[in-house]
Amino acid sequence: MSRSSAWRRDWPLMLALLTLAIITYVPFVFTVINSFKINAQFFQEFWLPTLPLHPENYVRAWPAMGRAIFNSFTYSIPTLVLTLVFSGLAGYAFARYRFPGRNILFVAILALIMIPGILLVIPMFSVIIALDWGDTLQGVVLPWVSVEIVFGTFLMRTFFETLPQEYFEAARLDGANEFTLLTRIAVPLALPAFSTLAILDLLFSWNDIIWPLVAIFDSGRLPVSIGVLSFAGQYGTDYGVTFASYVIASLPLIIIFAFTSRRFMDGLSGGLSI
Amino acid sequence: MTTKSQPKIRAKTESGRWQLRSGFVPLYVPFLFLIPALILLISFRYIPAVSAIFHSFTYWNIPEPGEFIGLQNYQALFDDPIFIKSLGNILKYMVGRTALVLVMAFVGAELVYNLSSARWRNIWRMVFTIPMVIPITVNLLVWQQVYAGRQGMLNEFLTGIGAMARPYPWLGRPDTALPALIFIGFPAVAGFGFLIILAALQNLSSEVNDAALIDGCSRLRRVFAIDLPAIRGPLALILILSLNQGMQEFAPMLVMTQGGPINTTMSPAYYLYIQGFTYGKHGYASAIGTVLMLMTLALSIFILRMRYRRAYDVAV
Repeated sequence: MSRSSAWRRDWPLMLALLTLAIITYVPFVFTVINSFKINAQFFQEFWLPTLPLHPENYVRAWPAMGRAIFNSFTYSIPTLVLTLVFSGLAGYAFARYRFPGRNILFVAILALIMIPGILLVIPMFSVIIALDWGDTLQGVVLPWVSVEIVFGTFLMRTFFETLPQEYFEAARLDGANEFTLLTRIAVPLALPAFSTLAILDLLFSWNDIIWPLVAIFDSGRLPVSIGVLSFAGQYGTDYGVTFASYVIASLPLIIIFAFTSRRFMDGLSGGLSI
Repeated sequence: MTTKSQPKIRAKTESGRWQLRSGFVPLYVPFLFLIPALILLISFRYIPAVSAIFHSFTYWNIPEPGEFIGLQNYQALFDDPIFIKSLGNILKYMVGRTALVLVMAFVGAELVYNLSSARWRNIWRMVFTIPMVIPITVNLLVWQQVYAGRQGMLNEFLTGIGAMARPYPWLGRPDTALPALIFIGFPAVAGFGFLIILAALQNLSSEVNDAALIDGCSRLRRVFAIDLPAIRGPLALILILSLNQGMQEFAPMLVMTQGGPINTTMSPAYYLYIQGFTYGKHGYASAIGTVLMLMTLALSIFILRMRYRRAYDVAV
């Protein structure tokens, strides 16, 4: 099909997509534009950029948001590592071994998907209080990992089951033990599945508000999902600074996305079905 | 695999070891791999789940132990006008939001899928993926600004084009607050649903499409006659996820409306949070959570039964 005839066929679709994209992006573009204004400029000109730009809005938003972003990484990175390791181990055990209770155990884990997270927040809060884990790293991370390994185990089991049996047989003939089979054969082959899980886990831990709200009392330790909320509460009347804080809060994941976009999109869309 | 000579599943053998798909390992090996996950799940999922259901029958104010009061929490709950109202709200929100997300994700995915240029397909897929990485709280705060009565984008736009005489506080009025929450992120194309449907469409066999075209099937007719039935599986998945998420929705209420005005946006999950963490009524909140869990279970089972009603569907 020649270029022009493809265009003749596609232009209504392109126009519809462009309209949808514009409506989707207008609020965010508006936020970025107005993050460079002081209030007087904002009240005068609502939609368009005005000069002079006021980048000092970002300087004012940075101390609080920078700390919140740092906090988010300190919670999200350990959550990510533990989720990948624990889900990988459990998924591998379910996929490769036959042992008594295997099916019952797997169904019992999957059933957890049906339980609303918010129901468990109250008893988990009582555990955190009893262990005196408020404001601690493990108090945030371990409950998060326990949420994520349910889907993680399911995903990794599904993936490990697709690996050809012959690889493992060959390696075992060569004298590899069970642990070597896992680390040298299964894990390297499962990197795409691990990256899917990593992306989903990162989006989850970066966005969760309920658990940090319950388990963290010290406002200096709040992650970005709540930090941006309390910052907006403090600076709400100063529109430029508030909008600047929104932009700063969005940057880390956008930067990560910029470097991993292909893997990111493939990971999110990996042919899920039921 | 046709070359496999041994049956896949085998019971205990004479040597007292359990069979793998091939070869033998001691029984403790799989459990060793499972232990870290199981410890976490038992401490932070199973025990809390049992504890929540148990404490829904108690008067409980953490860190005091619960005091058994039978069904009183449940009786109070179904006499609680705010809770009853929240059930109606969440039903409307769940259905409205799911309909919007499902339709728009499908429309967006079909538009992209029907493009003839692979390069543009990738570009549009990227365009509708980027909004997904914006933190949810930021998205909600930005949309609060969209709906704001003063300096709100929607008002400035509608008064600007002359569609409205004066600004309207969309989140501040009982009749528009809940619909406003439903339409957050409009047109709601960007999301998991879009990516999953698009991936499912792109995995369809192109031969079927070509054959349909040769037989004179129009593109629009193909969308409904071929595409839609072929991606039932992913659609059912998005339906379940979206309904479940809607049932437990919490963040938009917390960030944008605090359940108001006059409880028109109160959701059960947010009410649970208020009862538990503002008023310290942890037993009562556990009862709300237990009811919420039963509703979620009933809904999931209902959808799965609908999906697998006919036997030939199962393999899809």
